[in-house]
Amino acid sequence: MSASIYPLANPKGEKKLCEICQKPAKLQCTKCLVTFYCNLDHQQADWTSIHEKACPLLVSINTPVPSGTLSDQNHHHKETLKKQKCLIEMAHLEARKWVSMKRFQDVLPAALLFQHWIMRVYGSCTVELVPAYLLLAQANIGIGSLSQAQEYLSKAEWIVMKTADCSHTVLHQLHRTLGRLHAAMGKQASALTHFANDVYYAIEMFGLDSIVTSGGYFLMADVFLKQNKPDIAHSLYTEVAGSWHTHLCKLMDGISQSATQPDECFNEVQCVEADQMLSCILEFEEQCVKPRPEQLTMLAHSLAMLWLLRDNYTKALEYGKKAEVLIQGVKEQNRLRESIHNLLQHAEKNMNETANLHTADCNTH
Amino acid sequence: MSSKTRFSMIHSPQKTNRTTPTSKSFPRCNKKNSGSPVGEEPNKMTETEIAQIGKPLRQNICVEMLRDGFPHSFKELFALLQRWDEADDDPHKLQTLQLHLTRAEAAERAGKYDEAYENHMLLARFFTEDKWMKHHFLELALRSARKVIMDSGKREAEARSLVGQAYLEKGDLELAQEHLEVFYQLTAGRTWQDSNGRMQHSRSCEELQTVYTLMAQRSLQDQQYEQAIKMSRKAYTIAKESGDRALEGEAAYRLGLAYQSTGDQKIAMKFLSSYMEIALTLEDTDSLGRAHEAMAKCLESEGKITEAIELWEKYVETCKSSKQDQNLERAYMSLGHILKSQKRYGEARVYFERALELACLEGCPRRVQEAQVYVGITRALSTFPAYMKLIQDQNLDALLAWKDRREDRFSSAASSEPESTAQSNTVVP
Repeated sequence: MSASIYPLANPKGEKKLCEICQKPAKLQCTKCLVTFYCNLDHQQADWTSIHEKACPLLVSINTPVPSGTLSDQNHHHKETLKKQKCLIEMAHLEARKWVSMKRFQDVLPAALLFQHWIMRVYGSCTVELVPAYLLLAQANIGIGSLSQAQEYLSKAEWIVMKTADCSHTVLHQLHRTLGRLHAAMGKQASALTHFANDVYYAIEMFGLDSIVTSGGYFLMADVFLKQNKPDIAHSLYTEVAGSWHTHLCKLMDGISQSATQPDECFNEVQCVEADQMLSCILEFEEQCVKPRPEQLTMLAHSLAMLWLLRDNYTKALEYGKKAEVLIQGVKEQNRLRESIHNLLQHAEKNMNETANLHTADCNTH
Repeated sequence: MSSKTRFSMIHSPQKTNRTTPTSKSFPRCNKKNSGSPVGEEPNKMTETEIAQIGKPLRQNICVEMLRDGFPHSFKELFALLQRWDEADDDPHKLQTLQLHLTRAEAAERAGKYDEAYENHMLLARFFTEDKWMKHHFLELALRSARKVIMDSGKREAEARSLVGQAYLEKGDLELAQEHLEVFYQLTAGRTWQDSNGRMQHSRSCEELQTVYTLMAQRSLQDQQYEQAIKMSRKAYTIAKESGDRALEGEAAYRLGLAYQSTGDQKIAMKFLSSYMEIALTLEDTDSLGRAHEAMAKCLESEGKITEAIELWEKYVETCKSSKQDQNLERAYMSLGHILKSQKRYGEARVYFERALELACLEGCPRRVQEAQVYVGITRALSTFPAYMKLIQDQNLDALLAWKDRREDRFSSAASSEPESTAQSNTVVP
């Protein structure tokens, strides 16, 4: 997979630098031949993060221009551009995935590749770069290298400044990451201001009912907890739990009515984030002095729906049963009880089906 | 690879931490705002103040609310702003909203629902001109009031009353009824007074009576008589409870009219006479007139014409003695109409002429014309039988003589009946 660089096999005049740390490289990926590393550790890191998926694409991007007619060459350029954009998209998704799983070390190579290819395709001062900088900053905050994170955020801010009429989506993401940085630096007040801006822009962009804002609320609640204001955190958590519950109920309705696949409305990153937030809030609520059964039921129900939508029936059943127990403590048992009942039935049915399929599979083998 | 290195050379790492948050707001600090005073001294501005420059006030207020931990207030304000376009023009309104919404939220969080209620009420009173805003805050106040436990429902009663009124203004009678009925129940047996020193319960009766009456009227218009009677009855019961005699009389009158429209004259008479009684004790002459008119109509449709006429004549006496010319005129007109419908044209004419006289004194051209027309009609109708008789008898001489001279011989022939002659001679000028 890797070999030391054989200078004569490579184009002249270009210094070979490590993909990860930009130091002079000593190793070369034997598959794509365009990626270099200073040591094996860096290559290993790149491989787990992104290179395994990026390598084949890099090979095809680097195929030489065919010596054909002009239109042939044009066609080749177009195809290459398409592949490059595909690579960018993939790197973005991978980086976000690692962030959501909090595997910050694994974010870096993917985010670097993402940044590098955006620069190649779109230029070095384009607003497209902002998401890359934000991912890099977030990874660095996660690792604990705050000055590095700050540097990336400054770059992102600089681009945003120079872009007239910057979209609110970008502003919302920028403020969220800035908020994370300030929170990590212990500057609670400015962290709150950034999160407040984040929520504001997100709502301007996605509307009051959107779940995009819940991320901002959740982070704010964390800061308020650190400031020892649990009552405010509590009301923010209520907000998050409420909007997720509504959103998930809507998705469930959509699935039961039309046979749309859950994947279409719900990606992995969102799911992981939702799971983290809701579990954390559930834990917080359970530890409250005055537990609120409605809130607890709603949270358990949300988690059950979340896992059902991701086809994890065991977990869906686990949370569904929890919700069923919790609802006993609620005075008004209205519609929620019915939805929990339906959910449990649905989960059990699917669970049996998959079990049957599994045994059938075993029998045939 | 080369581009990466180039980039990192351009953006040399920044050493100071301070630059990051402040630099962000720099480009938005445009010319428009550079002149306006923001802080006392520019170098003493906080990071937040700097960040607020050049952004619309609504955004700054929203962000401030969120930053201070008021997500409900923020959502509330944001939703309001989506409906309310001129908000940017009025910082005072926005700041008032910010202040009281956040105070209400803080109070609610601390379980002090009475304080939350006060703040919502303040906002409702502040936005009296924007009807929907006022209504919105009244609903919020009601929500907080319902959570107050220790006041035996006094705040809820207040809120219910105001929300009910707001629905009444909107014309949503069903919802107004719902809230005012709760208001009524909450105030029953309580001695609460409003700011003018009036008993809340009696006010609840009055308001509820208005709603029931309006509902009854709507049903009457839709010709749903049973429903109309039901609502009128409710209005009457509650008006009686309010202790306000005038209100009770009014309700009795409407109930009477509702029964009248279904043809149930006996019951109608019962309520109308109690209306008349109340009008008598209150010495309310206008109501008395209306009571007579309605009762006479009842008697008429029952075929008791003599009684109806007697009723009117009694009323004429009352009006004469208390010198109410306008009511007298109406009474004369009504008498004229009844007599006319009985084909007693001579007598009817007399009354119309009296009405005409009064109308002339008043100098109201419309009423003068009306009386004139009826005088003309009855005069013509009263000559008709004598004229027809001449034709039937084929009394050609008499007819030709009349044709030549155009003298009014028929009316004198018609007025050969003794009593009407006497009357007409005295009145016709």
